[in-house]
Amino acid sequence: MKIAFCTDLDKSVVVANCEKRGWVQVGPEDEWNIYWAGTLTCRSLFSVDSGYRMNDNQMINHFPNHYEMTRKDLLVKNIKRYRRDLEKEGNSLAERWDAKYLHLDFIPITFVLPADYNIFVEEYRKAPQSTWIMKPCSRSQGSGIFLINKLSKLKRWSREANKNMLQPQLAKECYVISRYIHNPLLIGGKKFDLRLYVTVTSFRPLKAYQFRHGFCRFCTVKYDSSVAELDNMFIHLTNVSVQKHGEEYNALHGGKLSVQNLRLHLESTRGKEITENLFDQISWLIIHSLKAVQPVIATDRHCFECYGYDIIIDNKLKPWLIEVNASPSLTSTTANDRILKHKLIDNILSLVLPPSGFPDVRWNKIVSPDALGDFELLIDEDLINQEEINGDRHSKSSYYRWK
Amino acid sequence: MEEVKDKGIHYTSVKLCEDLKLSSSYINFFTDVQRVVSSSQVKVEEFGDSLFNALKETGLEAQLRNNVYYWIRNQVKENKTSAYDTFFKKAQIQWEKRIHKSLNSMCTELNVHLARPRYNSDREELIEKWGELSNYDVDVTKYRPVYSPKDFLEVLLNLKGPNYKPKADEPVWEFCHIPIKVKELHDLRILFSELSHGEPVLGIDVAKHLPCSYAAFEAERIELGEKVVDSNQAPTAQEYLKKGCPPSLRARIWKLVLGSGINETHHVQYEKLRAHVLQYDLMIDKLIIKDIHLTASNDDQYFVFEDILHQVLLCFSRDPDVLRLLPYKPGYMQVVLKGKTEPETTLTFPPSGVIPFHGFTMYAAPFCYLFEDSVELYFTIRAFYLRYWFRLHKICGHNQGVVCLCLLFERLLQCYDTALWHHFKKINIPPIRVVFKWIMRAFSGHLPPDQLLYLWDLILAYDSLEIIPLLAVIILIFRRANLLRVNTLQNIESVLADLSSISVMSMLQVALSKE
Repeated sequence: MKIAFCTDLDKSVVVANCEKRGWVQVGPEDEWNIYWAGTLTCRSLFSVDSGYRMNDNQMINHFPNHYEMTRKDLLVKNIKRYRRDLEKEGNSLAERWDAKYLHLDFIPITFVLPADYNIFVEEYRKAPQSTWIMKPCSRSQGSGIFLINKLSKLKRWSREANKNMLQPQLAKECYVISRYIHNPLLIGGKKFDLRLYVTVTSFRPLKAYQFRHGFCRFCTVKYDSSVAELDNMFIHLTNVSVQKHGEEYNALHGGKLSVQNLRLHLESTRGKEITENLFDQISWLIIHSLKAVQPVIATDRHCFECYGYDIIIDNKLKPWLIEVNASPSLTSTTANDRILKHKLIDNILSLVLPPSGFPDVRWNKIVSPDALGDFELLIDEDLINQEEINGDRHSKSSYYRWK
Repeated sequence: MEEVKDKGIHYTSVKLCEDLKLSSSYINFFTDVQRVVSSSQVKVEEFGDSLFNALKETGLEAQLRNNVYYWIRNQVKENKTSAYDTFFKKAQIQWEKRIHKSLNSMCTELNVHLARPRYNSDREELIEKWGELSNYDVDVTKYRPVYSPKDFLEVLLNLKGPNYKPKADEPVWEFCHIPIKVKELHDLRILFSELSHGEPVLGIDVAKHLPCSYAAFEAERIELGEKVVDSNQAPTAQEYLKKGCPPSLRARIWKLVLGSGINETHHVQYEKLRAHVLQYDLMIDKLIIKDIHLTASNDDQYFVFEDILHQVLLCFSRDPDVLRLLPYKPGYMQVVLKGKTEPETTLTFPPSGVIPFHGFTMYAAPFCYLFEDSVELYFTIRAFYLRYWFRLHKICGHNQGVVCLCLLFERLLQCYDTALWHHFKKINIPPIRVVFKWIMRAFSGHLPPDQLLYLWDLILAYDSLEIIPLLAVIILIFRRANLLRVNTLQNIESVLADLSSISVMSMLQVALSKE
């Protein structure tokens, strides 16, 4: 039986991959087996009004309410709730020292504005000289972001936002304000962030896989944390969509260095243990961000999703989760980018299909090692449960790269 | 070495002492020895023995041994045995003259001086932007690299060997008319015996030959490597490299093998070089900047290091020690500097004697993965250049020189893949033409950095560049099926363009081990 695929994205990398597998492209009204859709299409498909019901041989590349993780304010809300819940349970993961979480301190302190304004001010006064970053909750690609280091600047901004009452959609826009990572790890004097890919095939039980490839996105201008440069976004924001407009942007490498090369550089200059520890911490952070949204994501066996994780490493080699994207860019800016994204899509498709090669939601979604491709298993709660039943506690750690 | 032995142990030791006294580490070493001698560990009664023990305990003995080891390595002189010495020397002089002529005509064309004191405003800008020289505002659009690997290959292929008998209309095709003996596969198997015996090495992609997991093997190698570093013995470190170096130890092991560890005197030296860059505006600066722009700045493996590369390469051009320490005397120019206030002075141009070609930056770029500090980076790059890289852009008959490496490549390909050789012959594309850029840059910029550094481990370990043509042959043979299918230069180049899937250690091991 030939697989019918459907996509509303104008991305050659998706079509090319499906066609390479001998699949047939069909329209959304036809019988499709795999739908690679944008988040909006997906939302309308899942909405009650559409009345669309998927059959057992259909799959789609988003979860209905992925925004619980990908909207900046909701992610923060979910992580805060996750910590509180663990703390109530008395779970040692939620241990604190000096008010700070020891193990779950992986996002910069963040508040939602205007709702949390008063708590923010309280926190701000503890360290009045520090820099904070303001981001609109549901915009992307670095738009609407700015840095502040004085309360007065925030007040002025809020007054101006209120003036926009005539355009209520602007006035009502919610923002998150986070402590700015002022001491990022620099390479060659420049700031960068990491883009990693994680595919989730199920939230309950949690099944997640991390792609071995990814890249660092570099700013084109030397990092400078001085106040005078606070408004220079080419120094502070790594988004390709921002950097592209800089004078120094180079289209041949697009400011992207592979994660493998980052690892080589860190291992060579800082040592193996430190480097491995960093990457283990990154996997740890990803797993707990997923666990934080696990209870609120609607379970749907038809769904799988690939997330783009944005992570900043500080100069003490601690990784910080900045945000998660449900539709990581599939546009290729360079030749290597194209290779990476092609492989990513290919490996995702192998990962989500049962061994028969035909979509079937009744499959237990336990992926055989051969089908992993360049994905690595982060967590599969089914496998953990199996082991516990078998009492096979010794090998348990082998399922976790972070132990 | 032979030379050293010939003149007897007495002569050798006198020469050794003289040279050690001149080395940059000597002052510190001498102070340390004085400190030990005056300590309570050394007793008048058993002066010799107690001094020896004390030196051993303080690690000074190992330091001295290493210095002797580096010294002996540096006694290898050029062309000591080649019968074609004068022939190659002449060719090299001619080539250098051509380069100098082309530099001069570029200066005339662009209406710039070869060298002159730097303008104050320019100096201020350089000082301000020293940490981000990629933003240093200088127009290099009109500058062209003096020559490219392709130009150099043309020169090499046109070398009329001493026994050359011209045939009518014969296209320049290969090196076989150059009558130098190069190693055969059999000799290479003996030279690289650790690889040919199929012993486990780091950097192999499949761990099927390993008794344990790759991770366990790596951990074992790291443990051993730590001991090697602690022992501070250069020969041991060199031996250790034969099975590949874990990335986390590479910087320290390489420094130990090369003797490129640094102390305060190195910082002073580097600062002097920087001062020279700030003081004089050399035409070659623009060539260096241009080359970085053309190579590292556009390369997704190295663009992050462009600023530091500017620093070290500009300083390199100013280093008179490069000229002094090179085992041969390259040609250089003398430029008269006309200052307004100062008296006239002459300047060796360039002070290092090295004129960069297109891709010169790639001799330095991979080291940026290993060192963050510019002084450490600089001295290791310099040491590698003085040992190996200068041979890759110089005409000579030395068995490590580029001519012999090309010959070695040709003979190996002829012997071990005659069909492929004939295919090249049939489509009239000299195989050396497609691999020469790999050889001349020691694969830098062609292999991904992790693989490249394994390859360079082996250069150091066996103190030989012969691994480079060997790898070039292996890659061709590995891709023979695809090569045999195409017959234009463009298609051949596209078969060989992407080396990102090459596993250096695995391929060398497979090729060197007997079935």
